[in-house]
Amino acid sequence: MSTQPVNYLETSELVLNMGPQHPSTHGVLRLVLKLDGERVKAVECIIGYLHRGVEKIGENRTYTQFAPYVDRMDYVSAVANGLGYCLAVEKLIGVEAPARAQMVRVALAELNRISSHLLWLGTHALDIGAMTALFYCMREREEVLKIFENYCGARLTTHAFRIGGLQYDLHDTFEAEARAFCDMFEKRIDEYEQLLTKNPIWVERLRGVGVLTAEECKSFAVSGPMIRAAGVNWDLRRAQPYSGYEQFEFDVPVMHGADSYDRYLVRVEEMRQSVRIIRQTLGRIPGGAILAKVPKVLKPPAGEVYVSTEAPKGELGYYIVSDGSQHPYRLRVRPPSFMNLASLEKMAVGALVADVVAIIGTIDIVLGEVDR
Amino acid sequence: MATDPWEDELASQLRSSFTDVSLKLESFHGQPFATLEPGGYVKAVEFLKAQGFDYLVDLTAVDHPKDPVRFEIVAILYSFAANRRVRVHTRVGDGEAAPTLTGLYAAANWLEREIWDMFGVAFAGHPNLKRILMPEDWQGHPLRKERSIVAMDQEWVRANLDIESGQ
Amino acid sequence: MEMAANSMLNTLKRWLLLDLLDGLWVTFKMQGTGNIATEQYPSDRPKVAERYRGAPRLNINPENNETLCIGCDLCAKACPENLIVVGTVRNKETRRLDLTTFTYDLSRCMFCGLCEDACPVDALELTQDFEMASYTREGLIWDRQMLEEGPRPTQYTR
Repeated sequence: MSTQPVNYLETSELVLNMGPQHPSTHGVLRLVLKLDGERVKAVECIIGYLHRGVEKIGENRTYTQFAPYVDRMDYVSAVANGLGYCLAVEKLIGVEAPARAQMVRVALAELNRISSHLLWLGTHALDIGAMTALFYCMREREEVLKIFENYCGARLTTHAFRIGGLQYDLHDTFEAEARAFCDMFEKRIDEYEQLLTKNPIWVERLRGVGVLTAEECKSFAVSGPMIRAAGVNWDLRRAQPYSGYEQFEFDVPVMHGADSYDRYLVRVEEMRQSVRIIRQTLGRIPGGAILAKVPKVLKPPAGEVYVSTEAPKGELGYYIVSDGSQHPYRLRVRPPSFMNLASLEKMAVGALVADVVAIIGTIDIVLGEVDR
Repeated sequence: MATDPWEDELASQLRSSFTDVSLKLESFHGQPFATLEPGGYVKAVEFLKAQGFDYLVDLTAVDHPKDPVRFEIVAILYSFAANRRVRVHTRVGDGEAAPTLTGLYAAANWLEREIWDMFGVAFAGHPNLKRILMPEDWQGHPLRKERSIVAMDQEWVRANLDIESGQ
Repeated sequence: MEMAANSMLNTLKRWLLLDLLDGLWVTFKMQGTGNIATEQYPSDRPKVAERYRGAPRLNINPENNETLCIGCDLCAKACPENLIVVGTVRNKETRRLDLTTFTYDLSRCMFCGLCEDACPVDALELTQDFEMASYTREGLIWDRQMLEEGPRPTQYTR
C-alpha cells in the first residue's frame, strides 16, 4: 500500500507591513516584519516620516532662536530637551545659570519626567490591553501640564528655559501646586501598581519579552530606563551631575531582568524618585537672579562641545560646533529614542507579532525625536 | 579653535600605541578629543574600546566645504568604568568612503546610515548602507552646506503648492 | 490548613461578588459633580493661565490712543520664523520712527514668546486669546488693525 504524501499548508515566509498609521506604533513608525507563522524572523524599521530637518534648521537660526525648536523633537518632554540645549550653549559660552534658576530647572525637569513616564505608562498599558491605566495617567498628567501652563504659558512645547537661566520667574502658587501634586501623586502611583504590577495578564505579556542584555544594551548604545533595567547602574544625573543634581538625594532604580516588565518597574520607581527630588526642591529654592549675564547677540568662541543630560528617555546629547558666528556651524542632537529604537531590530527577533507591540511600547519612543 | 593639549594617562597610552600615524590630542572645555587619519581611526576606536570605552554615544559628521579634506567624522565614546567621554575625529574627502565602525558597535549601523543620508559620506563595509530619514527617491544630501534651507523650501513650494515662496 | 482556609475565602469572595462591588464602588465614587472634567466649550470657555501665550496683540496707550510700538524692529529680528514685518517712517519733527504697518503671520507662529521678550516697551504681547482659527490662509496674516483690536470669536451662550 502506497502512502499519499501529506499536503501541508504552504509555509513560506510572510512579509507583513505594520504602520506607519498603526495605533500601536506611537506615531508614524513603519515596521516590515518577516514572519514565520506567528514568529518574527526579522524586522526592519522604516523611519523618517516626521523628519523636519531640525539639525539643518539649527544651522540657520541664532542660538537663542533655535531654543523653541528643540521642544518639538521629543514633544512629551519639551522641558528636558530645553534643559539639555541650554546647558550645552552655556558650556560653549562659559556661563553658568544662577542657583535659583538651576533649582527651578531641576523641579520642572522632574515634573516633566513624571509627565513623560505617565504618557508612556498609559499608552503602553493601552497597547497591552489595560485601558484603565490610560485614563488614570492622563488625569495626573493634566495636573503637571497645568503647572507648566501656569509657569510659562504653554503646556506641551514649553520653551521654559533660556540660555543663561530662565525667562519667567516662578509664579506665586508654584510651591503650593507642586506640593499638592506630590501629595496626590504618590498615592496614585500605588493605584497604578495595584492595577498592573501583579496583574497576571500584565506580567504574562511583559515577563521575558524584549530581552536586551547589558552587553547588547551597551553595543546598541541604549540609554535611560532600558539600560537600567538590564542591570547597569548608570544615570547621568548621578554619574555626571548637572544643574545642581548633586545636592539631591535620590535612588537610581536598577533591575536585572532586562525585559519589558523590569523596564516598567524601573520607570514606575523613577516617578517615585522624581517626586522625592521635587519635594527636596520645595522650600529650598534660593532667591536671587534668574538669568545670568548673557550678551544679547550671542557669539560663542569657535569650538565644539558635547553636553548630555538624562532626559526621560535616556541620554540626550547636544554636539555643537561653533565657528564664532551667531549661528551654530553644526548642531547635532543625540536622540535617545533613535538609539533605543535601533535595538528593536534585535529585540523583536523570535518574538510573536503581538509581542512586537509590547516591545515598541517598552522602548518609549517619540517619533518626533527619532526622525527629528 | 583655541584648544588645550590633552595630557593624561590615556593620552600617553594613545601616543605610545599610535606612533606610525599622525595623531593630534587636544581638549576643549575639558573635553578631550583625538584627531587621526582615516587609516588609524578604526584602530584608535578599537584601542579605546579595549580600554573600556565600550559605549558609542554618538557618531556624526561635520561638513567643511572650504577645507581640502571636506568631511569630519566624529565618534563620541563613553567608558562606564572611567565615567568619561572621549571623541575621535577623522577626515574624509568628498566621494571617499570612510571606514565603518559597525564591526565594533551595533549602534554604528543606524548612525552611519544617517551620516550617509545627511552628508553623502559612504562607509566601506557597512552591511546596509541606504537612506534612513529622507525618502528613498530624494536627491542629494540635505546637511551639506551647499543645500540652502530657503532654496529647498522654495523648490518644494513651487512644485507642490503652485506659489512662488512660502517664506 | 491555611491553604484550605484561603481557598474558602476566595470562593466566598467570588460568590459574594466582592471584587465586582469593589470596581463598582470606584465608579460610584466618581459620580460627584466635582469630578466632571468635560468642559462645555464653546458655551463655557476655559480659563487659561495668566501667562498663557496666545494671540499676539499690539498694545495701545489708553490715555491717548497711540500705539506703544516704537518701530525698533527687535521683535522681527528675534523671531525664529521671520514672520513679523514692521513698517516705519522717520518723523521729521520728532526725529523718531513712526509705525506705519505691522504684519504678523500667525500661520507660521509657534508661540515661543521670543518677540514679546525682545520688545523693550511691552508693545507686543502674547495674550490669553486662543481662538484664532480662520477659513483662509490669508486670514491668518494679521495687520496692524487686527493686532490692535484682537480677535473677535463668535460668542455662544447656553
